[in-house]
Amino acid sequence: MNDQWTDRLSEYLDGELDAQERGALEAHLSGCAECRATLAELRQVVARAKGLEDRPPKTDLWPGVAERIGSGKVVNLPAHRARRFSFSVPQLIAASIALVLLSGGGAWLAVQRWNVTDRRPTGTLAVTSASWTGHTDAAIADLQDVLTRNESRLDTATVRVVRANLAVIDRAIAEARGALAGDPSNTYLNLHLADTMRRKLELLRRINAIAAARS
Amino acid sequence: MAPLVLEGPLTRDQPAADVVAVDTALAASGDATAFERLYRTHVARIHSLVRRMLDADEADDVTQDVFIRAWNKLSTFRGESAFGTWLHRLAVNVVLGRRKAVGIERGRYVTQEEPLQNVSGRSDTPELSMDFEAALARLPEGARQVFVLHDVEGYRHEEIARMLGVVPGTSKSQLHHARMALRRHLDR
Amino acid sequence: MLTILTAVLVSLAPLQGQTDTTFAVPAGASLSVNNFGGAIVVHGWNQNRVKVHAEHGSRGRIEVSLVGSTVMVKASSRQGAPSVVDFDITVPQAMALTLAGTYAEITVDGMQGPISAETVEGAIEVRGGSGIITLHSIQGTVTLADATGRIDVNSVNEEIKLSNVSGQIKAETTNGDVTLTGVKSASVEAATINGSVVYEGTITDGGTYVFNSHNGDMIVSIPEGANVTVSIATANGDIDPSFPLPLTATHGKRRYTFKLGSGSARMEVESFQGDIKLRRPEEIRDRLQHKNKNNNHNEHDDSFDFHFDSNGVGAAWVRDYAATYAREYAPKYAPLYARRYARAYARAYSH
Repeated sequence: MNDQWTDRLSEYLDGELDAQERGALEAHLSGCAECRATLAELRQVVARAKGLEDRPPKTDLWPGVAERIGSGKVVNLPAHRARRFSFSVPQLIAASIALVLLSGGGAWLAVQRWNVTDRRPTGTLAVTSASWTGHTDAAIADLQDVLTRNESRLDTATVRVVRANLAVIDRAIAEARGALAGDPSNTYLNLHLADTMRRKLELLRRINAIAAARS
Repeated sequence: MAPLVLEGPLTRDQPAADVVAVDTALAASGDATAFERLYRTHVARIHSLVRRMLDADEADDVTQDVFIRAWNKLSTFRGESAFGTWLHRLAVNVVLGRRKAVGIERGRYVTQEEPLQNVSGRSDTPELSMDFEAALARLPEGARQVFVLHDVEGYRHEEIARMLGVVPGTSKSQLHHARMALRRHLDR
Repeated sequence: MLTILTAVLVSLAPLQGQTDTTFAVPAGASLSVNNFGGAIVVHGWNQNRVKVHAEHGSRGRIEVSLVGSTVMVKASSRQGAPSVVDFDITVPQAMALTLAGTYAEITVDGMQGPISAETVEGAIEVRGGSGIITLHSIQGTVTLADATGRIDVNSVNEEIKLSNVSGQIKAETTNGDVTLTGVKSASVEAATINGSVVYEGTITDGGTYVFNSHNGDMIVSIPEGANVTVSIATANGDIDPSFPLPLTATHGKRRYTFKLGSGSARMEVESFQGDIKLRRPEEIRDRLQHKNKNNNHNEHDDSFDFHFDSNGVGAAWVRDYAATYAREYAPKYAPLYARRYARAYARAYSH
């Protein structure tokens, strides 16, 4: 029926059409209930795909794996694996924080490797939270700018609630930073600060999405 | 402003990352107990990926292959990405490599909208995703793999095209065909 | 009157009042409701019909149509500012629901399928449901009971309560408590910033349980015989278990790992300022029952302070409890009633 339009619905859904194509398709959609329905169904398929649950295998496969890798703590390493592989603690922290930021709203951040200044595997660390929070702070600042521009689209009660909750999160961030200043290598404190900053990012993102949808 | 799309899947349900990193370091130096912990954490995800991209019969064997390959290659894992991401990518490579080895080219890609509408969903178990996953398993392999990589696992078309050895246009159209065929099997 | 709808525009009566329509729907249809302001109430029944009842001012406009396999119910307004419409919709139990609004209070019961509910200002209360369940509010409390599936519940300014749920659970808010009871799951994540987390549920082998807060206490149940590696971290709080915890590792001053049984499941309990209380499930259940009995007359009091110190409870506890209670009670209670009255007046007077 409307093959030329139907065929492009997935690309539209995924944001892959340029502005002109998108305009043309949206103009068509406003008059074509069938395409709208198909689009809704495609959305549901994508949502369903995202919601698929992971199931472990029915039988435990570990024994088969263990057998082939040689179980138990191996002391004699084959020559090609003899090189010891160790992360320095700053690398662990940087990696773990990258994971936390990625797994919760990282779509707004560029994926970068944090440059860790101290590579000594033992001893005190010169890593401070400044070395990894820079990127997050920048992302938060960007989103706050966007929110300020968008605020007029939200009503005052919502704005008030959002601001109050941003303040709650800011207080938590300040407290976490304070504790971290006194104990900069503490993994929990680093992760907690990262997690709290991520919450702020997510709230900003969510509110901006709501404001944008009102336009 | 469109959000940046990240390369590879986002891992959400992970234990504390520093614990994973420590286990990875231990496993890379030969500690099989640490590797077993990593196995336990990731097996459901890897097995599900393999099952959806291949089929249920091969899934157990291929899952074991993935973990054995991971054990052997652990010394090359540099901690640049999360372990889960690295493992996941390795699993995709194992799956696609196997596909080339078995090598049935015919009928891999959908040329018209597949007549799946007469497939009735059946479920042996009360698990919710049976109907949808059963329909997924009936898609031709190419379309199914594109769908799994894009919609389930979050890869982009450029990457999928590279992995499967096709042009991005094919990846996009296969994705669309898969979605169109699957929409009749959304469980309610 | 049973008719199959293809596209119907139900226009309302010229005076303010109500609209009613009932029609048959094909199996597998889903429901999508969009109501800017007012209530969205959905009940399930075992008939293949949808019944839409709406109360509104004369400026309100209700559109009910069938688009593909989706029944779309939309409230709009004839000119200018939106008016308040209250929906009461009865649908087949298996229908998937997508309910959205801004100043909308959403209530669902008796449904058996997936549910998505989103509102900015308005509480969400759902009983029943299976599959993908997503409940998001900014300013409202979110309550879910008797549901199973992939559950994702979110508020910002208010608390979250899940009871008798199973599947994969994720519950997060910023300014409120998260209370999970009667949970059967191998994957639970609960987080808040300004509030406490209470978990009473299974700890299954191989499962993952993550609880954290910045400012609140963690009260987590661990059944006897559970196999779980528990990692606890707090910056300023106390760790208070009601049973012996075999410490296996400490990481710095603030993080401790304990292994119970085979250590199969993995649990993280973290609070920056709050205390970490590990209890047996019966202790938490008893406490919750006791609280409910005492507070039946006051459905809005959710700020009960769990305090298990049985040694000379006395004045200190009472003082703390009263201070918390008063501080939280008044600001929560008043606006909730104010909102409800405001809506009823708005509806009556929006013409």
